[in-house]
Amino acid sequence: MRLVRRLTHLLLAAALAFAPALGAQEGGGFRLGELLGGDGAGFARALEPRPFRFPADHGPHPDYRSEWWYFTGNLRTAGGRHFGYQLTFFRFALRPDPPVRDTAWAANQVYMAHFTLTDTEGGRFHAFERMSRDSLGLAGARSQPFAVWLRDWRAEGRAAALFPLRISVAEEGIALDLTLEGGKPWVLQGDRGLSRKSAAAGNASYYYSGTRIASRGLVRLAGVDYPVSGSSWFDREWSTSALGAGQVGWDWFALQLDDGSDLMYYRLRRADGSTDPHSAGILVDGEGRTTRLAHDAVRLEAGREWTSPATGAVYPVGWKLSVPALELSLEIAPRLPDQELDLSVRYWEGAVGVDGERDGRALGGVGYVELTGYGG
Amino acid sequence: MIPVLWRASLRFLWRHPWQTGLTVLGIALGVAVVVAIDLANDSARRGFSLAAEQTAGRATHQVIGGPRGLDESVYRALRMAPGDLPMAPVIDDYVAPAADPGRSLRLLGVDPFAEARVRDYVRVGGGGTPVTRLLAEPGAVLMAAETADSLGMAPGDRLEVLARGRTATLTLAGYLETTDPALRRLVRGLLLTDIASAQEILGEQGRISHVDLVLPAGAAGGAALERLRALLPAGAALLPAEQRSAALGRMTEAFHLNLSAMSLLALLVGTFLIYNTTTFSVVRRRPLLGGLRTLGVTRRQIFRLVLAEAAVTGLVGALLGLGLGVALAELLLRLVTRTINDIYFVLTVRELSITASGLAKGLLLGVSAALLAALPPALEAALAPPRAILNRVVLEARLHRGVRWSAAAGAGLALVGAAVALVPGHSLGLGYVALVALVLACALLTPKLTLLLVAAFRPLLAFLLGALGNMAARGITAHLSRTGVAAAALMVAVAATVGVGTMVASFRDTVVHWLDESLRADVYVAPARTAGGAAWPDLGRGFAERVAGLEGVAEVATYRRVVVESASGPTQLVAASLPASERERFRFRSGAPDAAWAAFRAGGAVLISEPYAFRHGLGVGDTLELRGSAGPVRLPVAGVFHDYRSDQGVVYLDAGLYRRLWNDEAVSSLGVHARPGADIGQLMARIRALPAGGLALAVRANRELFNASVEVFDRTFTITTVLRLLAVVVAFVGVLSALLALHLERAREMAVLRVNGLTPRQVWLLVTAQTGLMGLTAGLLAVPAGLLMARVLTHVINYRAFGWTLQWTTDPAILGQAVLLALAAGLLAGVYPAWLMARTPPALALRGE
Repeated sequence: MRLVRRLTHLLLAAALAFAPALGAQEGGGFRLGELLGGDGAGFARALEPRPFRFPADHGPHPDYRSEWWYFTGNLRTAGGRHFGYQLTFFRFALRPDPPVRDTAWAANQVYMAHFTLTDTEGGRFHAFERMSRDSLGLAGARSQPFAVWLRDWRAEGRAAALFPLRISVAEEGIALDLTLEGGKPWVLQGDRGLSRKSAAAGNASYYYSGTRIASRGLVRLAGVDYPVSGSSWFDREWSTSALGAGQVGWDWFALQLDDGSDLMYYRLRRADGSTDPHSAGILVDGEGRTTRLAHDAVRLEAGREWTSPATGAVYPVGWKLSVPALELSLEIAPRLPDQELDLSVRYWEGAVGVDGERDGRALGGVGYVELTGYGG
Repeated sequence: MIPVLWRASLRFLWRHPWQTGLTVLGIALGVAVVVAIDLANDSARRGFSLAAEQTAGRATHQVIGGPRGLDESVYRALRMAPGDLPMAPVIDDYVAPAADPGRSLRLLGVDPFAEARVRDYVRVGGGGTPVTRLLAEPGAVLMAAETADSLGMAPGDRLEVLARGRTATLTLAGYLETTDPALRRLVRGLLLTDIASAQEILGEQGRISHVDLVLPAGAAGGAALERLRALLPAGAALLPAEQRSAALGRMTEAFHLNLSAMSLLALLVGTFLIYNTTTFSVVRRRPLLGGLRTLGVTRRQIFRLVLAEAAVTGLVGALLGLGLGVALAELLLRLVTRTINDIYFVLTVRELSITASGLAKGLLLGVSAALLAALPPALEAALAPPRAILNRVVLEARLHRGVRWSAAAGAGLALVGAAVALVPGHSLGLGYVALVALVLACALLTPKLTLLLVAAFRPLLAFLLGALGNMAARGITAHLSRTGVAAAALMVAVAATVGVGTMVASFRDTVVHWLDESLRADVYVAPARTAGGAAWPDLGRGFAERVAGLEGVAEVATYRRVVVESASGPTQLVAASLPASERERFRFRSGAPDAAWAAFRAGGAVLISEPYAFRHGLGVGDTLELRGSAGPVRLPVAGVFHDYRSDQGVVYLDAGLYRRLWNDEAVSSLGVHARPGADIGQLMARIRALPAGGLALAVRANRELFNASVEVFDRTFTITTVLRLLAVVVAFVGVLSALLALHLERAREMAVLRVNGLTPRQVWLLVTAQTGLMGLTAGLLAVPAGLLMARVLTHVINYRAFGWTLQWTTDPAILGQAVLLALAAGLLAGVYPAWLMARTPPALALRGE
C-alpha cells in the first residue's frame, strides 16, 4: 500500500518542483497518469516470488520504477520522555532505458525524503521534506557498505552487514542521530516477499521488513541533546505497478507489543467505504515466526475524529483493532492528534501508544500508524 | 479673472492661428523628444531588470566563480552541507538559431528540483511529460508558446543552434505557460533546459555559471553567509545578488544620461520659442493691454492673463507632445536597444513601457517651460505704466538697453560655464551644468552679436539690393524684440548640430585612426560567437600552433578574452601573447612604453585601457586587485593605453601570467601576421581548412574587421543624429513662428511701402533678404558656439561619461552645412510671410490697422 502512496507523492512532488505556486494539479499542470507514462513499460515487474539476497537487496533496484527505505520508531529518554520519528527515502526511476550522457548532472533517479519528529511531551510534531536528483552524489543508495542518502540526511552501515546502521538527519535545529543495532530476522511480507496489491498480475511489490530493531542515540531539540533508546521498524519495498482501481486510501498499522510480538496490518479502503479484499497483515512472534492475517481475520473500528487546523482534513485518530482468532484486542491512541505531514502530498503518519489484552492478559505496546486518502 | 479678459485673450489667439499653432507645435516637439527619450530609456532599463529577474528570482545572493564560471563541485559542497537553504545551480548563456545567427536566445540551465524555492516558474504543459523529458532527454527545452511561434516550432520539433561556436540540437519538449502577465514577460525569449542538457549543449561539462541562494534576513542570514563562505574555494565569491546586477546596470547609466541631456536640448529650444511668442503677443497687444490698464484692469490681472495664456498654450502643446512622444519612442527604443546590444550586453526589449510618471514628467516640463518663458514678458506687460504700453517706441528702446544687459549677463555666464567645465573631477552632472551655462551664455550674447553682424552686413546688402538691402538690415535691428530671440533660438539649435556633429566626427576620427593603428594582423580568427554569450569559446592551443605552422604565416598573436566578476562589476581581461609587431600598435597615455612592455613580459604587470583607468581611478604604479582562481590577485599597473573597444575598459596581461593565476589554457582569438608577399586570400582558405574541433570559425581579413567595427560605431551614433535633427526641426519651427509674427505685424509698414510704390517682387526681396540675413547671422554665430559646445562635449562630457580622450577634429563640411542650414531655415521661413504680404492689397492692410 505504501507503494501507491509513494508514487503519488513522488510524482506530484516532481510536478510541484516546477509549479510551486500550487494549483498545478488543476488543469494545465502535470497529470499523474501522464507522468507515470502509462503502464511502466520497460521496467522490471514483481511477478512472482524471488529469492532475497542480503545484504545486496538492501541496496537499490534501479530496474524497478520505485523503491523506498522506511524507518519509524518510538524512543524514550532515561527519564521516560517519549519521541517518535520517521525517516523515509524514496527512489523513483525516470526511464527504463536512460540515454548515455556526457555530464555528471545526468539523472535517471529522483530521490525524495521525509523526516518527522514527534515531541510528545512538548506537544509538537515536526515534518520536513527534501528532493533531489541522483547526480553529483547529491542523493543515492548502495548496498555494500549500505547507504541511502539525500544530501546530509543519511542512513548508513559500517561494513558488509546492514547493522549497526547509523541514521543521521538534521533540519532547522531538530536532529536525530541513532544507531540501529539489529533485532529479529527479516520478515518477508505477503507470499515469500511478493506483496500483491490487486488481482492484476504484476500489480505487486517485493516487500520485506525489520519489525523490531533496537535503537539508541540522540534526539536534538531546541538546542538540547536527549540521549534516547527504543525500537525501530524498517520497511523495504520496490515495484513498478501503478494505482489499483477504486482504491481511495489506506490505514496502516505497525505495532510492537510488550509480549515481544509485532503486528502489521493495512486496510485498503474502497470508494464506497468498504475494505478491499487485498487488505492484509502479519503477526511476528518474539522469535520471528510469522502468521499471515487475511483481511477478514482482522476487525478494525475507527474511534474519534480529528480535524486538521492546517488543512481541514478529517482523520480518525483512535482505533480498536482486534483479531478474534487470536483473542487479541487493542486500543490504539495517537501520542499527539496532530501528526499530519502537510508536504508535497498530505497524509497522517504518527507515533501511537497501544493498550489492550491478549488471552485475557493486559498487553501494551508502541507503534506507528499511517492514514491516507482523507482529503484536505 | 474677468471673463472679458479671457475672451480678449482667446480672440487674440484665435485671430493668429499660425502664430498659436506654431508655438503649440514647438512645445509639442520639445516635449515629444523629452518624453520619447525618457520612455525609451525607461523601457530599456526595464528590459534590463527583467533580464536580471529572469535569472535572479527570489535569490538574495549569488556564488560566482572565475572566467569560466564555477566548477560544479562548488555547488555540491554547498548543497551537501547541513541545512536546507534554498539554492539553485544555474547555467546562463546565449545561443543563436543556426538558421538566424544574428538572433540571441537566452539558455537557462537549471535543476528542476532546486528551482522551486528560488524561482517562480510557470506551469508546464503541452508536449506530454515535460519534467521527465527535461531530465531524461538530452537537449530537451521548454519555451513560451510565443517564442516557439517566432521560431516556427511546435512541441517535438528540433532546433539547430549555435552555442559557444558549436552546433547543438534542441528539442522543444513543451511550453512554459502562464496566465500571469509579469511571468509571461519573464519567459519571453527564454529557453529553459535541464542543467545536464545545458552542459552538453554548451560543451561545458563540469562547469556552472553561478549558484543562486536565498538567505534569510538578519542575524540568521549573516551566520549562513559565514558558514557558506567557509565552504567556498579561493576562486569563488559569495555576493549579494543585486550588487552584481546593479554593477551591470551602471554600465549603461552614462549612456542613458547623455540621451536625456540631449533630449532636454530640444526642450530648451522649445522654451525659447514660447518666450518669443509670448513677447510677441504682448508687444502686439500693447494698445489693448494699455487700454485695459487705463480702464482699471490691475497689473496682477494682466500678469495672470499673460501667464494663463502661456500655460494653456504650453498644456495643449505638451499634451500633443505626449502623443507624438509615444510614437517617437517606438523608433528611439529600437535605436537605444541596438546601441546597448552593440556596446554593452544583450538586451531584448519587445515593448515600450509607457509609464504614468514618464508622461507626467513630460507634461510638467512642457507647462513649466511655457510658464518660465512667459514670465519676463508677463512682468513686462504688468509692470509698465498704462501709457508706456501704448508706446511701442518705449518698448523697443528698453529692449535695446536690454541687449546690453543680456550681453553682459551672457559674458558673465560664459565665465561661470568655463570655470565649471574646467573644475577637474568625474561629475557628469557638473559637466552638463557647464554645457547648459555656455549654451545660455551664447544665447544671451546673440542679440548683441546679431546687431554687430547685421551692421557689418549692411554695406554688402546695400551694395547688392540698394535701398531694399538697407531696409532689410534695419528691419532686423529695429525689431529686435522679436528678431533677437528668434535668432537666439535658431543659433542654439544650429550650434547643437555643430557641437554634436563635431563631437561625433572627432570621436569617429579617433576610433578610425585607432582601428587603423591597432588592427595590425592580416587575418583575425575567432569562433563564431553568439551575441551575449557568457564566455568566448576555446579555439584550443593546438589550433593556434597549427595556424602558426601554416605556409605564409610569419607570427601569430593569441588572445584569451574573459570577464572576471567582482563586487564592483565585471572586468574584461585580455590575456595576450604578443609578437613585437603587435606590441607596436599600443599607444600609451601614460607609462613609458619600453618599461611597460618589459614589466608586462616579465609576467608581473598589467596594462590597462584608458576607460578602465578612469573608472577605477588607477594609474601607472598603482595596484589592481582581481579575483584569481586561487584567491585575490594583486597586479601592478605598468601602463595606460588608448583603447576604444569598450567604455568599461579592459585589462591586458601576459598569457603565461593569466594561465598561472586563472588556471585557464583556452585561446579565444588569433591575430595572424602573414609573411611579406603572402597571398592573404589563400592564407585564409588554409586557415579555414584546418580542423577546429567542430567550432564554427569566423576568419576575417584586416579590412573586413575594420569595416565591421566602423559600421558598429556608426550604428551606435544613429540615435545621436536623430536627436540632433529633431532639435533643428524645433528650431526651424521657432524661426518660422518668429518671422511670421514679425512680418504679420509689419503688414501696415509694408502696405505703406506698397502704397509708396514698392512692387510685390520688391516686397518678396525685402522680406526674404531680411529672413535670410537673420538665418545667416544665426548660422555664423552658431559656428563658434557649436565649436564651444563640441569642446565641452568631447573633452568634458564624453571623458566623464566614458573615460575616453578623443582627438579634436573640426570638419569644415559640418560648419558649412550648419551655416547653410540656418540660411535655408531663414529663407524658407520668409516664404509664407513674403507671399502673404505681397498678395495683400495695401488698402486692405491699411484698413485692417
